[in-house]
Amino acid sequence: MSRFELFSTVVDTNGQRDRLRHPASGGYCAFEGWVRNSNEGREVDGLSYEAYAELAIAEGERIVAEAIERYGVTDARCVHRTGDLKIGDMAVWVGASAPHRDEAFRACRYIIDEIKHRLPIWKKEHYVTGESDWVACTHVYREHEHEGHQHHHHAHAAPFVPDYSRQTRLREVGEAGQAKLAASRVLVIGAGGLGCPVISYLAGAGIGTLGIVDGDRLDASNLHRQTMYDAQDIGELKAELASRRVAALNPTVQVQVWTQPLDAGNAVDVFRQFDLVIECTDDMRSRYLSSDAAVISGTPLILASIYQYEGQLQFVAAKPGAPCLRCLWPQEPSPESVGSCVLSGVLGPVPGVLGAMQANEALKYLLGLPQPHAGALSLVNLIDLSIQHLPIDAAGGCAAHGGCVEVARRALARSVDEREIDLVFDRLDDAIAAGYRLVDVREADELVSDPMPVAGAMHVPSAQVAERAGEFIDGRYLLVCASGRRSGHAARLLRGEGVQNVYSLAGGLHALRVPG
Amino acid sequence: MTVVNLQYYAQLREQAGTSAEQVDTAARSLRELYEELRIARGFSLAADALKVAVNAQFSAWERPLRDGDTIVFIPPVAGG
Repeated sequence: MSRFELFSTVVDTNGQRDRLRHPASGGYCAFEGWVRNSNEGREVDGLSYEAYAELAIAEGERIVAEAIERYGVTDARCVHRTGDLKIGDMAVWVGASAPHRDEAFRACRYIIDEIKHRLPIWKKEHYVTGESDWVACTHVYREHEHEGHQHHHHAHAAPFVPDYSRQTRLREVGEAGQAKLAASRVLVIGAGGLGCPVISYLAGAGIGTLGIVDGDRLDASNLHRQTMYDAQDIGELKAELASRRVAALNPTVQVQVWTQPLDAGNAVDVFRQFDLVIECTDDMRSRYLSSDAAVISGTPLILASIYQYEGQLQFVAAKPGAPCLRCLWPQEPSPESVGSCVLSGVLGPVPGVLGAMQANEALKYLLGLPQPHAGALSLVNLIDLSIQHLPIDAAGGCAAHGGCVEVARRALARSVDEREIDLVFDRLDDAIAAGYRLVDVREADELVSDPMPVAGAMHVPSAQVAERAGEFIDGRYLLVCASGRRSGHAARLLRGEGVQNVYSLAGGLHALRVPG
Repeated sequence: MTVVNLQYYAQLREQAGTSAEQVDTAARSLRELYEELRIARGFSLAADALKVAVNAQFSAWERPLRDGDTIVFIPPVAGG
Protein backbone atom coordinates (compact mmCIF):
# COMPACT_ATOMS: atom_id res chain seq x y z
CA MET A 1 0.00 0.00 0.00
CA SER A 2 1.45 3.33 -0.96
CA ARG A 3 1.76 5.82 1.90
CA PHE A 4 3.38 8.53 -0.19
CA GLU A 5 1.71 10.05 -3.25
CA LEU A 6 2.39 12.82 -5.74
CA PHE A 7 -0.69 14.71 -6.96
CA SER A 8 -0.90 17.20 -9.80
CA THR A 9 -4.41 18.27 -8.67
CA VAL A 10 -6.05 19.37 -5.40
CA VAL A 11 -5.66 16.82 -2.61
CA ASP A 12 -8.64 15.35 -0.71
CA THR A 13 -7.32 15.80 2.83
CA ASN A 14 -10.41 14.30 4.48
CA GLY A 15 -9.92 11.12 2.46
CA GLN A 16 -6.28 11.03 3.47
CA ARG A 17 -7.18 11.49 7.13
CA ASP A 18 -9.85 8.77 7.04
CA ARG A 19 -7.27 6.30 5.78
CA LEU A 20 -5.32 6.84 9.02
CA ARG A 21 -8.28 5.90 11.26
CA HIS A 22 -7.53 2.80 13.30
CA PRO A 23 -9.06 1.38 16.51
CA ALA A 24 -5.60 1.40 18.15
CA SER A 25 -5.08 5.11 17.45
CA GLY A 26 -5.93 7.56 20.18
CA GLY A 27 -5.43 10.56 17.92
CA TYR A 28 -3.88 11.91 14.82
CA CYS A 29 -1.66 14.83 13.95
CA ALA A 30 -1.42 16.54 10.56
CA PHE A 31 0.78 19.16 8.98
CA GLU A 32 -0.13 21.16 5.89
CA GLY A 33 2.40 23.22 3.95
CA TRP A 34 0.87 26.20 2.07
CA VAL A 35 2.18 28.55 -0.60
CA ARG A 36 2.90 31.93 1.00
CA ASN A 37 3.21 35.31 -0.68
CA SER A 38 6.88 36.06 -0.04
CA ASN A 39 10.26 34.40 0.29
CA GLU A 40 13.45 36.07 1.49
CA GLY A 41 11.98 39.51 0.98
CA ARG A 42 10.63 38.91 -2.53
CA GLU A 43 6.91 38.99 -3.27
CA VAL A 44 5.75 35.68 -4.69
CA ASP A 45 2.51 35.18 -6.62
CA GLY A 46 2.75 31.45 -7.15
CA LEU A 47 5.12 28.58 -7.65
CA SER A 48 5.65 25.36 -9.56
CA TYR A 49 6.94 22.05 -8.27
CA GLU A 50 8.72 19.58 -10.50
CA ALA A 51 9.54 16.12 -9.25
CA TYR A 52 11.71 13.26 -10.41
CA ALA A 53 8.58 11.17 -9.84
CA GLU A 54 9.93 7.61 -9.62
CA LEU A 55 12.68 8.52 -7.23
CA ALA A 56 10.48 10.91 -5.24
CA ILE A 57 7.83 8.23 -4.66
CA ALA A 58 10.38 5.59 -3.67
CA GLU A 59 12.16 8.00 -1.32
CA GLY A 60 8.84 9.35 0.07
CA GLU A 61 7.66 5.82 0.88
CA ARG A 62 10.98 5.18 2.60
CA ILE A 63 10.66 8.32 4.73
CA VAL A 64 7.13 7.45 5.87
CA ALA A 65 8.19 3.88 6.66
CA GLU A 66 11.15 5.21 8.66
CA ALA A 67 8.84 7.46 10.69
CA ILE A 68 6.46 4.59 11.48
CA GLU A 69 9.36 2.39 12.55
CA ARG A 70 11.19 5.10 14.46
CA TYR A 71 8.25 6.42 16.51
CA GLY A 72 6.01 3.33 16.60
CA VAL A 73 2.97 5.16 15.23
CA THR A 74 -0.02 3.15 13.96
CA ASP A 75 0.07 4.61 10.49
CA ALA A 76 1.31 7.65 8.58
CA ARG A 77 0.81 9.15 5.12
CA CYS A 78 2.18 12.00 3.04
CA VAL A 79 1.07 13.73 -0.16
CA HIS A 80 3.11 16.23 -2.18
CA ARG A 81 1.75 18.44 -4.94
CA THR A 82 3.40 18.94 -8.35
CA GLY A 83 2.65 21.52 -11.03
CA ASP A 84 1.50 25.13 -10.67
CA LEU A 85 0.21 26.42 -7.32
CA LYS A 86 -1.23 29.76 -6.21
CA ILE A 87 -0.93 31.63 -2.91
CA GLY A 88 -2.73 29.66 -0.19
CA ASP A 89 -2.75 26.36 -2.07
CA MET A 90 -1.69 23.31 -0.14
CA ALA A 91 1.70 22.05 -1.32
CA VAL A 92 2.27 19.19 1.07
CA TRP A 93 0.21 17.22 3.58
CA VAL A 94 1.52 14.90 6.30
CA GLY A 95 -0.55 12.87 8.76
CA ALA A 96 0.29 10.34 11.47
CA SER A 97 -2.04 8.44 13.81
CA ALA A 98 -0.80 6.80 17.02
CA PRO A 99 -1.93 5.54 20.40
CA HIS A 100 -0.49 8.69 22.04
CA ARG A 101 -0.05 12.24 20.78
CA ASP A 102 3.68 12.61 21.34
CA GLU A 103 4.63 9.93 18.76
CA ALA A 104 2.13 11.37 16.28
CA PHE A 105 3.62 14.87 16.58
CA ARG A 106 7.16 13.59 16.27
CA ALA A 107 6.45 11.31 13.32
CA CYS A 108 4.73 14.19 11.55
CA ARG A 109 7.70 16.48 12.17
CA TYR A 110 10.16 13.81 11.03
CA ILE A 111 8.32 13.24 7.76
CA ILE A 112 8.06 16.91 6.77
CA ASP A 113 11.71 17.60 7.66
CA GLU A 114 13.00 14.60 5.72
CA ILE A 115 10.71 15.31 2.75
CA LYS A 116 12.13 18.81 2.46
CA HIS A 117 15.68 17.53 2.86
CA ARG A 118 15.70 14.42 0.71
CA LEU A 119 13.00 14.45 -1.95
CA PRO A 120 14.06 15.19 -5.54
CA ILE A 121 11.42 17.91 -5.88
CA TRP A 122 12.34 21.36 -7.15
CA LYS A 123 10.44 24.54 -6.44
CA LYS A 124 10.27 27.42 -8.87
CA GLU A 125 8.98 30.69 -7.43
CA HIS A 126 7.13 33.15 -9.63
CA TYR A 127 7.64 36.69 -8.42
CA VAL A 128 5.21 39.57 -8.67
CA THR A 129 7.79 41.33 -10.87
CA GLY A 130 7.31 38.65 -13.53
CA GLU A 131 10.65 36.95 -12.89
CA SER A 132 11.02 33.42 -11.59
CA ASP A 133 13.74 31.39 -9.93
CA TRP A 134 14.43 27.82 -8.93
CA VAL A 135 14.83 27.69 -5.18
CA ALA A 136 16.94 25.09 -3.45
CA CYS A 137 15.43 23.61 -0.30
CA THR A 138 18.69 23.00 1.54
CA HIS A 139 19.94 23.61 5.08
CA VAL A 140 16.78 22.25 6.65
CA TYR A 141 16.98 22.09 10.44
CA ARG A 142 15.94 18.59 11.37
CA GLU A 143 14.65 18.30 14.93
CA HIS A 144 15.17 14.54 15.09
CA GLU A 145 18.91 14.94 14.50
CA HIS A 146 19.04 16.56 17.93
CA GLU A 147 16.92 13.96 19.77
CA GLY A 148 18.73 12.03 22.48
CA HIS A 149 21.84 14.22 22.26
CA GLN A 150 20.92 16.66 25.02
CA HIS A 151 23.62 15.31 27.34
CA HIS A 152 26.22 16.04 24.66
CA HIS A 153 25.29 19.66 24.32
CA HIS A 154 27.87 20.84 26.79
CA ALA A 155 30.71 19.01 25.01
CA HIS A 156 29.51 20.32 21.64
CA ALA A 157 29.47 23.84 22.91
CA ALA A 158 33.25 23.81 23.45
CA PRO A 159 35.02 25.30 20.42
CA PHE A 160 36.71 22.70 18.20
CA VAL A 161 40.50 22.83 18.30
CA PRO A 162 42.07 21.05 15.32
CA ASP A 163 45.02 18.75 15.99
CA TYR A 164 47.52 18.81 13.12
CA SER A 165 50.26 17.01 15.10
CA ARG A 166 50.53 14.10 12.66
CA GLN A 167 51.52 16.41 9.82
CA THR A 168 53.43 19.06 11.79
CA ARG A 169 55.64 16.22 13.06
CA LEU A 170 57.07 16.07 9.53
CA ARG A 171 60.31 18.03 9.50
CA GLU A 172 59.29 19.71 6.22
CA VAL A 173 55.97 20.89 7.69
CA GLY A 174 56.33 21.91 11.33
CA GLU A 175 54.49 24.87 12.87
CA ALA A 176 55.81 27.18 10.15
CA GLY A 177 54.34 24.96 7.42
CA GLN A 178 51.04 24.74 9.26
CA ALA A 179 50.93 28.53 9.45
CA LYS A 180 51.47 28.66 5.65
CA LEU A 181 48.54 26.29 5.11
CA ALA A 182 46.32 28.30 7.45
CA ALA A 183 47.12 31.45 5.48
CA SER A 184 46.41 29.78 2.10
CA ARG A 185 43.42 30.23 -0.16
CA VAL A 186 42.70 27.36 -2.57
CA LEU A 187 39.96 27.16 -5.20
CA VAL A 188 38.63 23.72 -6.15
CA ILE A 189 36.67 23.63 -9.41
CA GLY A 190 34.44 20.55 -9.50
CA ALA A 191 33.25 18.67 -6.40
CA GLY A 192 32.97 15.25 -8.09
CA GLY A 193 35.25 12.21 -8.34
CA LEU A 194 38.48 14.22 -8.28
CA GLY A 195 37.09 17.00 -6.11
CA CYS A 196 35.98 14.76 -3.22
CA PRO A 197 39.49 13.68 -2.15
CA VAL A 198 40.92 17.12 -2.95
CA ILE A 199 38.36 18.93 -0.79
CA SER A 200 38.53 16.36 2.03
CA TYR A 201 42.33 16.32 2.32
CA LEU A 202 42.72 20.08 2.01
CA ALA A 203 40.02 20.66 4.64
CA GLY A 204 41.65 18.10 6.92
CA ALA A 205 45.06 19.70 6.43
CA GLY A 206 43.74 23.05 7.66
CA ILE A 207 43.82 25.21 4.52
CA GLY A 208 42.62 28.67 5.56
CA THR A 209 40.01 29.22 2.84
CA LEU A 210 38.58 26.74 0.37
CA GLY A 211 36.57 27.93 -2.63
CA ILE A 212 34.30 25.31 -4.16
CA VAL A 213 32.75 25.63 -7.64
CA ASP A 214 30.15 23.16 -8.93
CA GLY A 215 26.82 23.71 -10.68
CA ASP A 216 25.69 20.06 -10.60
CA ARG A 217 23.35 18.20 -8.30
CA LEU A 218 24.26 14.83 -6.80
CA ASP A 219 23.05 11.84 -8.80
CA ALA A 220 22.83 8.24 -7.60
CA SER A 221 25.37 7.26 -10.30
CA ASN A 222 27.99 9.54 -8.68
CA LEU A 223 28.16 7.70 -5.37
CA HIS A 224 30.53 4.87 -6.36
CA ARG A 225 33.35 7.41 -6.77
CA GLN A 226 32.16 10.51 -4.89
CA THR A 227 32.31 8.98 -1.46
CA MET A 228 32.11 12.26 0.45
CA TYR A 229 28.33 12.25 -0.10
CA ASP A 230 25.41 10.20 1.26
CA ALA A 231 22.57 8.41 -0.52
CA GLN A 232 20.14 10.81 1.14
CA ASP A 233 21.90 13.78 -0.53
CA ILE A 234 20.73 12.85 -4.06
CA GLY A 235 19.27 15.83 -5.88
CA GLU A 236 21.14 18.44 -3.84
CA LEU A 237 23.77 20.87 -5.14
CA LYS A 238 27.22 19.33 -4.77
CA ALA A 239 28.85 22.66 -3.93
CA GLU A 240 26.46 23.06 -0.98
CA LEU A 241 26.95 19.45 0.14
CA ALA A 242 30.74 19.81 -0.11
CA SER A 243 30.62 23.01 1.91
CA ARG A 244 28.65 21.23 4.66
CA ARG A 245 31.13 18.34 4.56
CA VAL A 246 34.04 20.75 5.09
CA ALA A 247 32.21 22.39 7.99
CA ALA A 248 31.67 18.96 9.56
CA LEU A 249 35.26 17.79 9.00
CA ASN A 250 37.10 20.95 10.01
CA PRO A 251 34.99 23.89 11.18
CA THR A 252 38.02 26.18 11.23
CA VAL A 253 38.20 26.21 7.41
CA GLN A 254 36.42 29.12 5.71
CA VAL A 255 34.39 28.05 2.66
CA GLN A 256 33.22 30.09 -0.33
CA VAL A 257 30.75 28.43 -2.70
CA TRP A 258 29.92 29.03 -6.38
CA THR A 259 26.84 27.07 -7.49
CA GLN A 260 27.30 28.07 -11.14
CA PRO A 261 30.34 27.18 -13.27
CA LEU A 262 32.83 30.02 -13.80
CA ASP A 263 32.79 31.63 -17.23
CA ALA A 264 35.07 33.72 -19.42
CA GLY A 265 33.60 36.86 -17.85
CA ASN A 266 34.50 36.13 -14.21
CA ALA A 267 37.16 33.37 -14.11
CA VAL A 268 40.21 35.67 -14.04
CA ASP A 269 38.74 37.81 -11.23
CA VAL A 270 37.87 34.72 -9.19
CA PHE A 271 41.32 33.16 -9.74
CA ARG A 272 42.99 36.38 -8.49
CA GLN A 273 41.33 35.80 -5.08
CA PHE A 274 43.22 32.51 -4.59
CA ASP A 275 46.82 31.31 -4.18
CA LEU A 276 46.24 28.06 -6.05
CA VAL A 277 43.48 26.52 -8.19
CA ILE A 278 42.74 22.81 -8.57
CA GLU A 279 40.76 21.81 -11.66
CA CYS A 280 38.62 18.73 -10.93
CA THR A 281 35.83 18.89 -13.50
CA ASP A 282 35.05 16.35 -16.21
CA ASP A 283 34.68 19.14 -18.74
CA MET A 284 37.30 20.09 -21.35
CA ARG A 285 35.96 23.62 -21.76
CA SER A 286 36.32 24.19 -18.02
CA ARG A 287 39.94 22.91 -18.18
CA TYR A 288 40.85 25.33 -20.97
CA LEU A 289 39.11 28.20 -19.20
CA SER A 290 41.04 27.34 -16.02
CA SER A 291 44.36 27.18 -17.88
CA ASP A 292 43.68 30.55 -19.56
CA ALA A 293 42.57 32.19 -16.30
CA ALA A 294 45.60 30.72 -14.48
CA VAL A 295 48.22 32.12 -16.88
CA ILE A 296 46.50 35.52 -17.12
CA SER A 297 46.09 35.89 -13.35
CA GLY A 298 49.43 34.23 -12.52
CA THR A 299 47.70 31.69 -10.27
CA PRO A 300 49.20 28.17 -10.31
CA LEU A 301 46.84 25.40 -11.40
CA ILE A 302 46.80 21.64 -10.85
CA LEU A 303 44.99 19.79 -13.64
CA ALA A 304 43.92 16.15 -13.60
CA SER A 305 41.62 14.04 -15.72
CA ILE A 306 40.80 10.38 -15.92
CA TYR A 307 39.72 7.70 -18.36
CA GLN A 308 38.54 4.29 -17.15
CA TYR A 309 41.68 2.98 -15.36
CA GLU A 310 44.10 5.84 -16.09
CA GLY A 311 44.70 9.45 -15.36
CA GLN A 312 46.74 12.45 -16.45
CA LEU A 313 48.18 15.08 -14.11
CA GLN A 314 49.73 18.44 -15.00
CA PHE A 315 50.97 21.29 -12.80
CA VAL A 316 50.70 24.67 -14.52
CA ALA A 317 53.06 27.03 -12.67
CA ALA A 318 51.59 30.10 -14.43
CA LYS A 319 55.02 31.72 -14.64
CA PRO A 320 56.90 32.90 -17.74
CA GLY A 321 58.62 29.95 -19.41
CA ALA A 322 56.41 27.31 -17.73
CA PRO A 323 54.03 25.34 -19.99
CA CYS A 324 50.23 25.67 -19.83
CA LEU A 325 47.50 23.29 -21.03
CA ARG A 326 47.51 24.92 -24.49
CA CYS A 327 51.29 24.32 -24.83
CA LEU A 328 50.45 20.62 -24.74
CA TRP A 329 47.09 20.55 -26.56
CA PRO A 330 46.79 23.82 -28.52
CA GLN A 331 43.21 23.19 -29.66
CA GLU A 332 40.37 22.16 -27.37
CA PRO A 333 39.50 18.59 -28.42
CA SER A 334 35.93 17.74 -29.28
CA PRO A 335 33.84 16.17 -26.49
CA GLU A 336 33.40 13.02 -28.62
CA SER A 337 37.17 12.39 -28.74
CA VAL A 338 37.92 12.67 -25.03
CA GLY A 339 35.41 10.27 -23.51
CA SER A 340 33.56 10.72 -20.23
CA CYS A 341 32.69 8.74 -17.12
CA VAL A 342 29.11 8.50 -18.41
CA LEU A 343 29.97 7.01 -21.80
CA SER A 344 33.26 5.20 -21.16
CA GLY A 345 32.81 4.08 -17.57
CA VAL A 346 35.28 4.49 -14.71
CA LEU A 347 36.37 2.48 -11.69
CA GLY A 348 35.57 4.45 -8.53
CA PRO A 349 39.06 4.62 -7.00
CA VAL A 350 40.64 5.98 -10.23
CA PRO A 351 39.50 9.59 -9.66
CA GLY A 352 40.20 8.93 -5.97
CA VAL A 353 43.88 8.23 -6.71
CA LEU A 354 44.27 11.17 -9.11
CA GLY A 355 42.40 13.51 -6.76
CA ALA A 356 44.60 12.42 -3.85
CA MET A 357 47.64 13.15 -6.04
CA GLN A 358 46.26 16.63 -6.80
CA ALA A 359 45.76 17.27 -3.07
CA ASN A 360 49.30 16.07 -2.38
CA GLU A 361 50.75 18.32 -5.12
CA ALA A 362 48.74 21.22 -3.67
CA LEU A 363 50.18 20.71 -0.19
CA LYS A 364 53.72 20.32 -1.62
CA TYR A 365 53.33 23.59 -3.53
CA LEU A 366 51.88 25.50 -0.56
CA LEU A 367 54.57 24.16 1.80
CA GLY A 368 57.38 24.90 -0.65
CA LEU A 369 58.43 21.23 -0.99
CA PRO A 370 60.26 20.07 -4.14
CA GLN A 371 58.05 19.25 -7.15
CA PRO A 372 60.53 17.57 -9.51
CA HIS A 373 57.89 16.73 -12.10
CA ALA A 374 56.11 20.09 -12.19
CA GLY A 375 55.81 21.04 -15.85
CA ALA A 376 55.57 17.44 -17.03
CA LEU A 377 52.52 15.51 -18.09
CA SER A 378 52.30 12.56 -15.69
CA LEU A 379 50.52 9.51 -17.04
CA VAL A 380 49.15 7.36 -14.25
CA ASN A 381 48.25 3.83 -15.28
CA LEU A 382 46.30 1.98 -12.59
CA ILE A 383 46.28 -1.29 -14.49
CA ASP A 384 50.03 -1.89 -14.28
CA LEU A 385 50.54 0.73 -11.52
CA SER A 386 53.07 2.69 -13.57
CA ILE A 387 53.62 6.44 -13.67
CA GLN A 388 55.36 7.98 -16.65
CA HIS A 389 56.49 11.63 -16.63
CA LEU A 390 56.80 13.37 -19.99
CA PRO A 391 58.44 16.81 -19.75
CA ILE A 392 56.51 19.44 -21.73
CA ASP A 393 58.70 21.70 -23.85
CA ALA A 394 57.28 25.20 -23.29
CA ALA A 395 59.35 26.55 -26.21
CA GLY A 396 57.45 24.27 -28.59
CA GLY A 397 54.00 25.35 -27.35
CA CYS A 398 52.34 28.75 -27.01
CA ALA A 399 55.75 30.46 -27.37
CA ALA A 400 55.40 30.18 -31.16
CA HIS A 401 52.06 32.03 -31.01
CA GLY A 402 52.89 35.00 -28.80
CA GLY A 403 53.28 33.19 -25.45
CA CYS A 404 50.81 31.58 -23.03
CA VAL A 405 49.36 34.86 -21.73
CA GLU A 406 48.69 36.26 -25.20
CA VAL A 407 47.19 32.98 -26.42
CA ALA A 408 45.01 32.81 -23.28
CA ARG A 409 43.81 36.42 -23.70
CA ARG A 410 42.74 35.75 -27.28
CA ALA A 411 40.93 32.54 -26.23
CA LEU A 412 39.08 34.30 -23.39
CA ALA A 413 38.05 37.18 -25.67
CA ARG A 414 36.67 34.64 -28.16
CA SER A 415 34.75 32.85 -25.37
CA VAL A 416 33.20 36.15 -24.28
CA ASP A 417 32.09 36.79 -27.88
CA GLU A 418 30.64 33.30 -28.07
CA ARG A 419 28.67 33.46 -24.83
CA GLU A 420 25.47 34.29 -26.72
CA ILE A 421 25.68 30.81 -28.34
CA ASP A 422 24.48 29.08 -25.17
CA LEU A 423 20.77 29.63 -24.68
CA VAL A 424 18.69 28.65 -21.66
CA PHE A 425 15.18 27.27 -22.15
CA ASP A 426 12.96 25.65 -19.54
CA ARG A 427 11.15 23.60 -22.18
CA LEU A 428 11.94 22.77 -25.80
CA ASP A 429 8.46 24.02 -26.72
CA ASP A 430 9.60 27.49 -25.63
CA ALA A 431 12.53 27.28 -28.08
CA ILE A 432 10.23 26.21 -30.92
CA ALA A 433 7.81 29.03 -30.06
CA ALA A 434 10.76 31.44 -30.19
CA GLY A 435 11.44 30.30 -33.76
CA TYR A 436 14.33 27.86 -33.32
CA ARG A 437 14.63 24.72 -35.40
CA LEU A 438 15.83 21.88 -33.14
CA VAL A 439 18.86 19.79 -34.14
CA ASP A 440 19.60 16.67 -32.11
CA VAL A 441 23.40 16.14 -32.25
CA ARG A 442 23.44 12.94 -30.18
CA GLU A 443 24.32 9.50 -31.51
CA ALA A 444 21.60 7.29 -33.01
CA ASP A 445 21.53 4.87 -30.05
CA GLU A 446 20.98 7.75 -27.61
CA LEU A 447 17.98 8.90 -29.64
CA VAL A 448 16.45 5.47 -29.17
CA SER A 449 17.25 5.04 -25.46
CA ASP A 450 16.36 8.61 -24.54
CA PRO A 451 14.03 10.18 -27.13
CA MET A 452 13.64 13.95 -27.52
CA PRO A 453 10.64 15.22 -25.56
CA VAL A 454 9.29 16.94 -28.72
CA ALA A 455 8.94 15.69 -32.29
CA GLY A 456 10.34 17.15 -35.50
CA ALA A 457 14.01 17.69 -34.64
CA MET A 458 16.67 17.28 -37.35
CA HIS A 459 19.31 14.68 -36.53
CA VAL A 460 22.95 15.51 -37.24
CA PRO A 461 25.45 13.64 -34.99
CA SER A 462 27.97 16.09 -33.50
CA ALA A 463 30.92 14.49 -35.29
CA GLN A 464 29.24 15.29 -38.65
CA VAL A 465 28.14 18.90 -38.13
CA ALA A 466 31.20 20.43 -39.80
CA GLU A 467 30.82 18.41 -43.01
CA ARG A 468 27.04 19.06 -43.03
CA ALA A 469 27.38 22.80 -42.34
CA GLY A 470 25.52 23.47 -45.62
CA GLU A 471 22.28 22.09 -44.14
CA PHE A 472 21.97 25.01 -41.71
CA ILE A 473 20.34 27.48 -44.10
CA ASP A 474 17.69 30.12 -43.30
CA GLY A 475 16.34 30.57 -39.78
CA ARG A 476 17.93 29.81 -36.45
CA TYR A 477 19.03 26.40 -35.25
CA LEU A 478 19.23 25.20 -31.64
CA LEU A 479 21.65 22.27 -31.27
CA VAL A 480 20.73 19.88 -28.48
CA CYS A 481 22.64 17.05 -26.74
CA ALA A 482 22.45 15.40 -23.31
CA SER A 483 24.61 17.85 -21.33
CA GLY A 484 25.15 20.84 -23.63
CA ARG A 485 28.84 19.99 -24.15
CA ARG A 486 28.71 18.39 -27.58
CA SER A 487 26.10 20.87 -28.80
CA GLY A 488 28.17 23.79 -27.47
CA HIS A 489 31.32 22.52 -29.15
CA ALA A 490 29.47 21.80 -32.42
CA ALA A 491 27.86 25.27 -32.46
CA ARG A 492 31.27 26.92 -31.96
CA LEU A 493 32.72 24.75 -34.71
CA LEU A 494 29.95 25.86 -37.07
CA ARG A 495 30.44 29.52 -36.10
CA GLY A 496 34.11 29.02 -37.01
CA GLU A 497 32.95 27.78 -40.42
CA GLY A 498 30.98 31.00 -40.88
CA VAL A 499 27.55 29.58 -39.93
CA GLN A 500 26.26 32.31 -37.62
CA ASN A 501 22.65 31.15 -37.09
CA VAL A 502 23.44 28.24 -34.73
CA TYR A 503 22.99 28.09 -30.96
CA SER A 504 23.32 25.47 -28.24
CA LEU A 505 20.88 24.44 -25.50
CA ALA A 506 22.79 25.25 -22.29
CA GLY A 507 22.91 22.23 -19.98
CA GLY A 508 21.30 20.03 -22.65
CA LEU A 509 18.30 17.75 -22.18
CA HIS A 510 19.46 16.97 -18.66
CA ALA A 511 18.82 20.57 -17.62
CA LEU A 512 15.26 20.44 -18.97
CA ARG A 513 14.43 17.43 -16.89
CA VAL A 514 16.17 18.38 -13.68
CA PRO A 515 15.68 22.12 -13.45
CA GLY A 516 17.73 24.09 -10.97
CA MET B 1 61.88 -3.05 -41.13
CA THR B 2 62.05 -1.54 -37.65
CA VAL B 3 61.06 -3.19 -34.38
CA VAL B 4 59.45 -0.77 -31.92
CA ASN B 5 57.62 -1.08 -28.58
CA LEU B 6 54.22 0.58 -28.40
CA GLN B 7 52.22 1.74 -25.40
CA TYR B 8 48.61 2.81 -25.63
CA TYR B 9 46.63 4.98 -23.27
CA ALA B 10 42.92 5.63 -22.71
CA GLN B 11 40.73 5.34 -25.83
CA LEU B 12 43.62 3.84 -27.83
CA ARG B 13 44.21 1.14 -25.23
CA GLU B 14 40.51 0.34 -25.30
CA GLN B 15 40.36 0.19 -29.09
CA ALA B 16 43.62 -1.79 -29.43
CA GLY B 17 42.49 -4.20 -26.71
CA THR B 18 45.97 -4.07 -25.13
CA SER B 19 48.13 -1.52 -23.34
CA ALA B 20 51.41 -2.54 -24.99
CA GLU B 21 52.72 -4.47 -27.98
CA GLN B 22 55.82 -4.85 -30.09
CA VAL B 23 55.53 -4.33 -33.85
CA ASP B 24 57.79 -4.86 -36.83
CA THR B 25 57.02 -2.02 -39.21
CA ALA B 26 58.03 -0.65 -42.60
CA ALA B 27 56.87 2.84 -41.57
CA ARG B 28 59.62 5.45 -41.60
CA SER B 29 58.13 8.12 -39.36
CA LEU B 30 55.85 8.20 -36.30
CA ARG B 31 53.07 9.61 -38.47
CA GLU B 32 53.35 6.76 -40.98
CA LEU B 33 53.41 4.25 -38.13
CA TYR B 34 50.27 5.72 -36.56
CA GLU B 35 48.42 5.76 -39.91
CA GLU B 36 49.36 2.09 -40.36
CA LEU B 37 48.07 1.25 -36.88
CA ARG B 38 44.96 3.35 -37.31
CA ILE B 39 43.83 1.10 -40.14
CA ALA B 40 45.02 -2.15 -38.54
CA ARG B 41 43.57 -1.42 -35.07
CA GLY B 42 40.59 0.70 -36.04
CA PHE B 43 41.62 3.75 -34.01
CA SER B 44 38.97 6.48 -34.19
CA LEU B 45 41.26 9.42 -33.38
CA ALA B 46 43.36 11.26 -35.96
CA ALA B 47 47.07 11.72 -35.26
CA ASP B 48 46.61 15.47 -34.84
CA ALA B 49 44.26 14.85 -31.88
CA LEU B 50 47.05 12.95 -30.07
CA LYS B 51 50.44 13.48 -28.51
CA VAL B 52 53.26 11.07 -29.17
CA ALA B 53 56.30 10.44 -26.99
CA VAL B 54 59.41 8.43 -27.81
CA ASN B 55 61.66 7.09 -25.06
CA ALA B 56 59.88 9.22 -22.44
CA GLN B 57 60.09 12.52 -24.38
CA PHE B 58 57.35 14.19 -26.39
CA SER B 59 58.25 14.05 -30.05
CA ALA B 60 57.30 15.54 -33.43
CA TRP B 61 55.27 13.28 -35.70
CA GLU B 62 57.92 13.48 -38.43
CA ARG B 63 60.61 11.84 -36.28
CA PRO B 64 62.13 8.78 -37.97
CA LEU B 65 61.77 5.40 -36.27
CA ARG B 66 64.74 3.60 -34.77
CA ASP B 67 65.00 -0.01 -33.66
CA GLY B 68 64.05 -0.43 -30.02
CA ASP B 69 62.18 2.88 -29.66
CA THR B 70 59.48 2.89 -27.00
CA ILE B 71 56.59 4.87 -28.44
CA VAL B 72 53.61 6.12 -26.46
CA PHE B 73 50.43 7.46 -28.05
CA ILE B 74 48.47 9.74 -25.69
CA PRO B 75 44.95 11.03 -26.27
CA PRO B 76 43.52 13.90 -24.21
CA VAL B 77 41.03 12.70 -21.58
CA ALA B 78 38.32 14.62 -19.77
CA GLY B 79 36.83 12.45 -17.03
CA GLY B 80 36.66 13.65 -13.47
